[in-house]
Formats: sequence, C-alpha cells, structure tokens
Amino acid sequence: MAAGVVLLMLGLLGFAPDHVLWLWYRGSFGSRYALADTFTKACPLLLTGLAAAVTFRAGVFNIGAQGQLLMGAAMAVAMSTRWLSPHTAPWVGIPLCLLVGAMAGAMWGLLASMLEVFRRVPIVLSTILLNFAALYLVKILLHSFLQAHGTSAPQSSQVPGNFCLPILMKYTSLHAGIFLAVAIAAILEIVQTMTVFGFQYTATGLNHAAAKLAGIPTMSRQIQAMLIGAACAGLAGAMQILGVAHFMTAKMGNYGYAGIAVALLGRLDPIGVAIAAIFFGALDAGAQRAEESQLGLPHETANVIKGVVILVMLVAGAWSMRRTLRSGLWMAKDDEASNV
Amino acid sequence: MSISVWTFLARQTITAAAPMVLAGLGELIGELAGVIDIGIEGLMLSGALAAFLTAFASGHGLAGLLGGILAGAAMAGIFGLCSTIFGADQIVVGTAINILALGATGTIWMLFQTWSQSHQLSIHLTAAESFRRLPLPGLAAIPFLGPSVFDQYTLVYVTAAMAIGVAYLLKHTRLGLAIRAMGDAPETCTAAGLSVKTWRLTVTIFAGGCAGAAGAYLSIMQTHSFAQNMTDGIGFVVLALVIFGRWTVRGLIAGCLLFGAINSLQQTLQAARYTSHSAVLHAMRHLPFELFQMLPYIAALLALAIFAKSRPGPKSLAK
Repeated sequence: MAAGVVLLMLGLLGFAPDHVLWLWYRGSFGSRYALADTFTKACPLLLTGLAAAVTFRAGVFNIGAQGQLLMGAAMAVAMSTRWLSPHTAPWVGIPLCLLVGAMAGAMWGLLASMLEVFRRVPIVLSTILLNFAALYLVKILLHSFLQAHGTSAPQSSQVPGNFCLPILMKYTSLHAGIFLAVAIAAILEIVQTMTVFGFQYTATGLNHAAAKLAGIPTMSRQIQAMLIGAACAGLAGAMQILGVAHFMTAKMGNYGYAGIAVALLGRLDPIGVAIAAIFFGALDAGAQRAEESQLGLPHETANVIKGVVILVMLVAGAWSMRRTLRSGLWMAKDDEASNV
Repeated sequence: MSISVWTFLARQTITAAAPMVLAGLGELIGELAGVIDIGIEGLMLSGALAAFLTAFASGHGLAGLLGGILAGAAMAGIFGLCSTIFGADQIVVGTAINILALGATGTIWMLFQTWSQSHQLSIHLTAAESFRRLPLPGLAAIPFLGPSVFDQYTLVYVTAAMAIGVAYLLKHTRLGLAIRAMGDAPETCTAAGLSVKTWRLTVTIFAGGCAGAAGAYLSIMQTHSFAQNMTDGIGFVVLALVIFGRWTVRGLIAGCLLFGAINSLQQTLQAARYTSHSAVLHAMRHLPFELFQMLPYIAALLALAIFAKSRPGPKSLAK
C-alpha cells in the first residue's frame, strides 16, 4: 500500500515508476557491489535502530540517537587522531576507539536520563535539545581540538590506517563492523526474550504502574535501557568514522533520526530492526542510484517512502492492537488510570 | 533611519518570537486537550514550503499564507487520523510525520530548484508575493517602542491578538473548559456526552493550521524563500517552551520572548565582537561562533530543568 502511494506520487511528478523501480533494484540488490552498498548503509541504521528500539521498549522515548552518534564519533576521532599514537596495534586501538565511542554515546544519553530523574524534564524533549547541543559541540571541536592541521575547514584529520576497520570486499566500504552490529542485535534479542532483565524492562515499557506494583525497579531499568541504547548509537558513530568515512565533519548523515523509523518498522524487536535496517539501507542505496542516473530523482524521496511506510505500519499495528484490546485485555489500561 | 542596538535587539526578539508563539498557541491548546504533537516541526516545515510554492505560483502573499495554513492543517489531519482515530501512539506518529515532512519537502524543493533553474527563475519572492514589515501608522513613531514593537510583519499583530483570544477562550468560556477537561479527564467528557475523538481531531487540525502559518512566516515573511530543513529545530524548541510556560499562554509568550532574546542577542554578539571597542566583547572574539549558536538550546534545556518540576501538566497527555 505504501509502495503504491509512493509510485503514484512518482508518476504524478513525471517519473516513470517502472524505470525508477528498476534503478532502485539495481542500486540496492542488483549486483555484489550494490548488495555491499546496501549492507554498508544498513550497518549504522541497525545500531541506531537498536538505540531507539531498546529504549522505546522500556518506555523511554529516546529521540537523541543523533546526538549520541555524534558524540560517539567525536570521541572515536579524538582517540584515534589525538590521544593514541598512530602506531598503536590495530587489535588494541580499534576496540578501544569503539568502546570509547559507545561510552561517549551512553554518557550523552545518561545526561537526559538524569534530567528526567532529578528534574522531571521529559526525555522526548531533552534528547531533542541535546541533539542540537551535540551538533554545535561537535562543530566547536572540529574547529579547534579535532581540526586537521593546515586547514580552516571544520573537519578532523584522517584516521591513521591502524585504526581503520578491515574492509570485507574490495572497491566497497563494507567493513568488519557489521559483524559486531549483528552480534549486538543477536545478544539484545536473547536478553529481551530469555532473561529476567529483558522481561523487566519490557514490562516497564508496557505498563509502568503495573511493573512498579510487581516490584520491578522501573527507574533503574529505564536508565539501564537508556545506557544500552545510547551506547549503540555512540558505537554507530564510532563505526562510521573507523569503517566508512575515516575522517569527521559535522555532516554525519541523519542516521540517528532514521534509526527511530527503523525501530518502529522493526516493531522494537532486534531481529525486526535488523530486517528494517536492511530495507532502509536498500532504499538509501537505491535512491542514490536513482539520483545519480539521468532521471535525477532527489534522494530525499527515500525519506518520503520511509515516512509513508511507518504511518501505514502504525495504523495497521494500532488497528490489530485494538482488536486484541477489545477481547478483554483493556482492563489493564483501566488499572493504570486508577493508579495515577 | 538608524536605530540603536537595544531597539534593534527588541525588534529582532519579537520577530523571532512571533512564529514560535503562533505555533505554540496551537500546540498549547492541543496539549491541554491531551494531544502532544511532536510532529510540529514537520508541520511547520510543510507550511513553510507550501506557503512559498503557493505564493510563487499565485503571485499573492496572502494566498501563500493560506497555502501554508492548509498544508499544516492537512499534515495535522494525518497525525490526528493515525493517533486519535486509529489509536496509534502520539509520540511515534509525530516522529513519523517529522520524517515524512522532511523527505517530502526535500524532494519537492529539489525538484522545484531544478525546474526553476532550467527556466531561469529566481527562487526569491517579489514584494507582491511575500510580506514586508508593516509599520502601524502613528504608533510606529513612538520612540523605542515604535520601531521595535509596531514595525513588524502583519502576522505578528495577528499573533498578538490571537494570544489574547486564546487566553480568554481557555479561561473564561465553556469551550475552553471542554478543551481542558479533554486533557485532564477524557472519561468525564465522554460521560458528559462530548465526543473526545472529534474534539481532539478538531483541535489537532487547528494546531496544525497554526504551525503551518508559523512555517509560512519563516518562508514568505522572514526570508522570502525556502531552504531545505529551514525550520532547523524551531518546532522542537516550541514543544519545550510550551512545557516551560507550564501550559499557560502567558508562560508561553514569556518563554518565546526569552528564547527570541537569547537568539537575537547571540546573533548580535557574534557580529559585535568584531566591531565593538568594549573590552568584554573584544575578549569574546576568540570564542567559537558555534558556542553562540548552541546557547538557545542550552537555555531551553536549563529552563526545562529549572521549571519542569513545578506544576504538573494535563493528566491524560499523550494517552
């Protein structure tokens, strides 16, 4: 249905839908290189998607993956170009950079959690504002501490070769970081479905009052979910630097915001998020192909498709949810209301 | 006529605050009725582009404003349909609306640019297609107040009148009571025979119109053009300011003026530190300008941190 809406729009704008689809397919799944491009683009989306999914699941509306990603990237650059010697062995340097990036993201997320706990600032708002704060903070850093020598442009020096993630396929950017991303998704899936911790934070998100009543430490579960999610986003930033870009500018792409869409599409479930990330990665790869072709279709079209897909998903999801609720489960919501 | 720095600052503050107040009034009414629309950023962005395109095509600024309002209302209609009618989560739908608006405006804008380049047309609006400042006769001659308050865009005066109207409506009318009840105790409203869904949808669409008009203000009044993602987070700041103002019109206006003041002050400081002879300003010369750009967002965060705890909001917000 979503695809139908978008194809109709393309037709109205004067692009031949079948030709666009063909280009889109060629650019995303059509060849080994196209496939590698899709996976390269899916990698950060998987991590930022997890960043949103884990937190949303615990009832924490972390819209701040973008800021957390930027902080992670900045710290990874600081480690690799400023703090560590360029001759550090790869097996020491790369994990260290990724770890520091993840921690930087986690700290930026923790800031929002602390504002909520101590000052009751809604996380939705604080994380959005922190995104802007992070953007300008990163710009300041790129103009000062991190700036490459001998340039006035706001960009960092090149990451030394020893810190670059190994490339898996020649002539592409597909890097080894994707294994780590997939492993994290798998671990989170296990945690969510098989551990008490996973059950507790899911319960917190589903019904905060009931979870609290059942003795679940809801506040610490929410903070922990934020730490995990924000670390994923920070890791995404560090990985983009070490794996794809190899230097940093303030324009890191809006993977953080796209991650929210990925999480929603994946129904907040790590495996679903992985599938959604590949879908979005393919959309981006295909859109790039369509833009570079003679058609000159703007790559923003990919965002239109994403938005429409999410809305259709949401409505479909809410519709089926309502059916379930009608069959008696709605009592739970009533309980919550009386507890407030 | 040259004006002093302070007059200039006051004038810029009001110019910057007006669209935020306008969008904020809609969001405020919506939140009081229990609807939090995170998509306000997307609504403003859609309004900004629609206003520009309508004004460009029709040659009339007023038609542009109408186009902006309609676009905002239409996008809000989608939001309301998904959240209020179909019962999807408000925060989630709002986020989707933001992504959708960013993608749609970006696509249309790039296509428009290609088209206008091939026809060698300017992407800036002429005087007839846009709004210019309208000095109120007589009042504009008052020293200080004249050039700062009474030499603004038409929509600023309309916004001021609307703020008074909304404040009165919320406090002294049955309609206002119904809206507030909708947010605090929707069950009671249903029991009293009011359709919560219909009312919330109506209020949401009204808020969308406000946001669309605020977007139009940015494109066809302030800049006479459009730019990709031109709202640049203003909608999110408005969300913060509604909470900062504790869901009152007075608080909202105070917040917007404060934010506008910080914003225009930072812009002035950025420029002044290179020209002024003051020692303090001179010392600021070495500060990165991004620090000044960051200031408004930090101020909004601090404001929330200080005031968010003091008074609870509508009980059924986002439910």
